[in-house]
Amino acid sequence: MSAFLNTLARDLFPLVWSGMIVGCLYALGALGLVMIFKCSKVVNFSHGNVAGFTAFLVYGLSSGVLMSLSWGAATLLAMLCAVAIAFLIYSIISPLVFESDLTSTIATLGFGLITQGATLLIFGPDIVSLDLPIPRFAVSVLGLFVTGYDLTVLAVTVITIGALFFVIDFTKLGIAFRAISENPFAAEVCGLNLRSVHYFAWITAAILGVIGALLIVPTTFLSVTTVSTFMLQAFAAAVIGGFASLPGSLVGGVLIGVLMNLFAFYVSPEYSSTFLLGIILVALNIFPNGILEKVGGSRV
Amino acid sequence: MSDTFGQRPANASETSMLKQLTSGSLPTLALIIALAFLPAMLGGSWTFTMGLCFANSIGVLAVSLLVRYGGEVSIGHTFFTALGAYSVGVLDAKYGLSLFASLPLALLLGVAFGVIFAWPSRNLSGIYLAVTTLALALAVPEIINNLGGITGGYEGLYVSTPIVSFLEMSMQRYYFALLMLVVATYLVARLRKSRQGMLLLLAKTHSAAADAFGTRRVWARISIMGISGGIGALCGATLAFSGSTVSPGGFTFSQAIFLLVGSVVGFYGLSLPRVLLGGAFVTLVPHLLSASGAWIPVFYGIALLSMILIGHHLPRIRKAMKLRKEAG
Amino acid sequence: MTEPQTNTLRGEGISLSFGGIKVLKDLDVEFRAGEITGLIGPNGAGKTSLFNCLTGAYTPQKGNIGYAGNSLNGLPPSMRAAKGIVRSFQHVALCPDLTVRENVMIGVARNHHSGWLNAFLPLPRGQREWAAMAQDANRALADLGLAEMGDLMPDALPPGMQRLVEIARAIVGNPSVLLLDEPAAGLNNSETSDLMAVLRELASNDLVLVVVEHDMDLVMSICDRIYVLNFGELVADGTPKEVRENPNVVRIYLGSDDD
Repeated sequence: MSAFLNTLARDLFPLVWSGMIVGCLYALGALGLVMIFKCSKVVNFSHGNVAGFTAFLVYGLSSGVLMSLSWGAATLLAMLCAVAIAFLIYSIISPLVFESDLTSTIATLGFGLITQGATLLIFGPDIVSLDLPIPRFAVSVLGLFVTGYDLTVLAVTVITIGALFFVIDFTKLGIAFRAISENPFAAEVCGLNLRSVHYFAWITAAILGVIGALLIVPTTFLSVTTVSTFMLQAFAAAVIGGFASLPGSLVGGVLIGVLMNLFAFYVSPEYSSTFLLGIILVALNIFPNGILEKVGGSRV
Repeated sequence: MSDTFGQRPANASETSMLKQLTSGSLPTLALIIALAFLPAMLGGSWTFTMGLCFANSIGVLAVSLLVRYGGEVSIGHTFFTALGAYSVGVLDAKYGLSLFASLPLALLLGVAFGVIFAWPSRNLSGIYLAVTTLALALAVPEIINNLGGITGGYEGLYVSTPIVSFLEMSMQRYYFALLMLVVATYLVARLRKSRQGMLLLLAKTHSAAADAFGTRRVWARISIMGISGGIGALCGATLAFSGSTVSPGGFTFSQAIFLLVGSVVGFYGLSLPRVLLGGAFVTLVPHLLSASGAWIPVFYGIALLSMILIGHHLPRIRKAMKLRKEAG
Repeated sequence: MTEPQTNTLRGEGISLSFGGIKVLKDLDVEFRAGEITGLIGPNGAGKTSLFNCLTGAYTPQKGNIGYAGNSLNGLPPSMRAAKGIVRSFQHVALCPDLTVRENVMIGVARNHHSGWLNAFLPLPRGQREWAAMAQDANRALADLGLAEMGDLMPDALPPGMQRLVEIARAIVGNPSVLLLDEPAAGLNNSETSDLMAVLRELASNDLVLVVVEHDMDLVMSICDRIYVLNFGELVADGTPKEVRENPNVVRIYLGSDDD
């Protein structure tokens, strides 16, 4: 019995903890996808590529490849860039959004390809390492190894999500966002501008993407595919959360993080994408409307 | 009066095959004949590339078919092409078996896995299904690499067993791909004039109406995924034979997106010229831009966007021009 | 009075609600073969919901539905269709990718069973099947005055004709129960009289024919029996004459300025 508890303490708790940390980042990515989907019914497949591009921008602006700015200035500039890209993408596809959500979703794939190519063209295919000033310490709490990185991720996630929910709950734009997500037709009849709310969602999503991308980089190196691969987990988190629920994507993100960690440790690290496919299929069959929704009857 | 109406379709169906090959598709027939003589005019390397182009056209057909008859978008069709390609590759490289054995296996696996995938995803549609196929596409390279003992891992497999003895291998690679493309587009054209095809189309547009006339939505989904998966596997088998090698690089997530791009470029058409346009796009763009790899995704992205935007804006512009003309 | 016929479509104690809103309240209905039954009532009375329960699109919370003595409870729409229970839709539900003739052919598709090989290859069985379906469809189209329209796409037809195509699709397969949801909506006078002639002809001994309709002239002149619904409850039933003279019905129709 005590041996069992020992293995639990040695393997399981650290796995769950680190899964939760990385799950927070998946949740940040998923929140962006869900924000956009909630109000415009478009799945933004360029999300990961744009976030990856901005992570490279931070690297390029702070390491001397493009400029030698401080990391803070570089991050700020990259964020502005992400906002500009989101603005541009939405401006181009907005006529499609009101016609067919599937067509506009395919169009975002096109932007994803372009951004991926642009990253390759500017920064090349090599792997780079991006150093952010994250506190480097580690403490042991009840046998759990907690690092400065873990606490940074937690803090940033809590602050970001807190700010996001504050904006959605209390600002005029946020309330318009909620109204339009509930019923776009009624909201438009009441005089709310769909387009400005869509811009709000796309820009917020871009910022969330940048934060998520920058925080994921310290755990791995930065390459063209790092962030877009990370975004698949974000997609899965969004799907599990029901794709239209902000709290759902939070739960989904943490769940995916923990499950993937457990799978990689106890089963096999080599089949993680296959496992993810399995999770998505199972989750969509058990909770077709997301993990936080009750299964209800539908009207024909 | 009603007698003549009763007879007309009976005659029509007897001659429909003839009709299809003559009046309705004369340009298609001319195109097939032109393509049959193409190798005489092209060099060896272009003949090879055109073979790949035909193979990719079949893949584009599989994606477009799912859009047209299922109303669904797949960004994971590399799963099915990989199935087909590795059926051919493994049977050839490990057992020395030719396409006579591996092609039926490829088709069988493609249909079977189409059905197997359709069952758990039967209640998903639109973006939910698209995201699920995305996960499917991402799982493919991983599975291939981890089954290195069978698939040859990163290095892949070489396909070299000829189908017939009297023709040069390079010609076999070309004509087999052409034949498969013609057969696939013919079969799909037949589907349109069949009971099952009609029911699939109704289930796509009005699933409640289809249900009320005895067609279950789940049947429609499973059928179209099975067919599309089978054609996807046919694409893979043809790619393996005509491309002579099978390696994970041919079944990446990007390749899955490129197939969708090809389908959009052909405006989801199912006719031979349309899918050929899409297939040519998928094959020739990387071929022509092979010197500058980073431009390939950019070019695909721009092409995808411009086709979508043209498809969206052109009818409106035309309408506006017409109105202006009428006013003036 | 004849013996109660066996081929009767019955609903007993049907109750249906959506999230607390009661759409149908403990309804008892009986639709006899050989009669045309009208189902009338103001908008929102639950007529289409009752149709949806009968065809299986909705599952009522309480009650039983049976046809010819057999229970239909729990059968999905496709299985009920296989028993010959067929409907038309309030909002035209034709497939825009199919020609008018092909849309009507859908109505007989359930009687044919050729396999997938016939779908892809020009095999004799599939060809025969297609020809037979086309022939049936042409006959149904001709009956409704649409003989010339077979090769057109549905979008090319005016809305009234689209509705007739839908009715053609419903009647072509010789159904045993035919539920028509506002068949005359959008039809002009001559189309309506064509439709009435067809419906009268259809009403044979073994067909249960139910019509939801707002056109009172049509209902009163062709129906043998009428059910009046209001707020999901049965207000009156009987012959057209009885219903016309029923004070409750008069009140409903004078009280609301609907149709």
